[in-house]
Amino acid sequence: MTATWLTLGMLLIWGTVVGVDLVSFPQALLSRPLVASAGAGFLLGDPVSGFSVGVVLELFALDVLPVGAARYPDYGPAAVGAVVLAGGGPWMVTLGLATLYALLVAGLGGWSLQVLRRANGRALQRSAAGLAAGQSDTVSALLARGIAGDVLRSFTLTGIALALALQARQIVVPVAGAAACRRASGCRTPNRSRW
Amino acid sequence: MNRGSLRALLRLLAVQGAWSYERMTGIGMGYAAEPLLEDLQASDPARHAAAAVRSAGFFNSHPYLAGIALGALVRAEYDQVPANQLERLRAALPSPLGALGDQLFWVGLVPSVMSLIMLGLAAGVGWWVLPAGLLGFNLFRIATGVWGLHTGLRSGAQVGAAIGDSWLPRWTPRFGRMALLLVGAALPVVAAVELGGATTVARWTAGASGLAVLGLSWRLETRFSPLRLSVLALMMAIVLVGVWP
Repeated sequence: MTATWLTLGMLLIWGTVVGVDLVSFPQALLSRPLVASAGAGFLLGDPVSGFSVGVVLELFALDVLPVGAARYPDYGPAAVGAVVLAGGGPWMVTLGLATLYALLVAGLGGWSLQVLRRANGRALQRSAAGLAAGQSDTVSALLARGIAGDVLRSFTLTGIALALALQARQIVVPVAGAAACRRASGCRTPNRSRW
Repeated sequence: MNRGSLRALLRLLAVQGAWSYERMTGIGMGYAAEPLLEDLQASDPARHAAAAVRSAGFFNSHPYLAGIALGALVRAEYDQVPANQLERLRAALPSPLGALGDQLFWVGLVPSVMSLIMLGLAAGVGWWVLPAGLLGFNLFRIATGVWGLHTGLRSGAQVGAAIGDSWLPRWTPRFGRMALLLVGAALPVVAAVELGGATTVARWTAGASGLAVLGLSWRLETRFSPLRLSVLALMMAIVLVGVWP
């Protein structure tokens, strides 16, 4: 699997969309890891990897309750990066690596959400006078600022996830793949029909 | 549905857009309330200003059920409910709406839909099961939002009784049981398919076993706990996947 610049750009946009969907807009389940991974798989021309990674991550995500002020992982951009890492390699090697990678990036995403929420709070304090006067422009501006902040957060998180995944593919996957092939006395090709 | 309600519903899609620890979803609620309060601005500007301040105050509930609170609070503003009573209503709504919404959507529907999608993929139904599942979920979510906003606008300060008499508290626990069973059915099937060891018959049978027990849960809900039923579904699925290698 070779990702072109156009594909990477589309993955970056897709990761941003699914990241914003988690909390800000429109919360339509696009951020679920199965959906985010499947979309990334289709964009890469490797839907099997997308579904394989997505299903495993979805089992982790079923355990998460995104309630109130709780800190929860952001699986969307993480799943996009994980599919890039998993795509094309022998699945018995890349699936586990991609899952571990996604869990780490999702944790980073959860932390970035908290940073965004604190930034929204600071903006709120700066706009206290307008809110006390009941100005609708202030409310609209705060909401637009919050969503713009989430777009920036998701874009950055997806960018990091993609950049690290591309690096990891070049370094980790060949080493781990070769080791797995030595243990198995030869590499089996991935079972492309399982999804 | 009038234009103000439609605009409010669309704005509710971004109710958590400015989520902060200070006001939680308050800014999103204030933004969604604006179109509904326009008539008040024309008739009573002073009361509108006070309502606008209140509408953007601290609030939190499940985002998909926020429309119930929005409608009730706006209706109470038009009904000229005293400010202290409005504040009590505003403080009373988050907990029940949060609890019902979390149980209905996060604990019930979302795991159910995702499990059904995984079972469909495992059964070889085709990739279209994914957009179909998303579409079905979002249609239900939007319909719930429309119902919620109308219920709130109709009930005002009596919204608690309206929620209690509605389908919401009756059906919410059933969605939780459905999720337990579908997740229980999906787990072994997904594991088998990821490892490449399940035939189409085994996948279908394992999925069907979960759905069969789901039906039983409705009939026998007073005699069997959801946990026992989900364990039964899981065991049936594991056995059936093993029988058809």
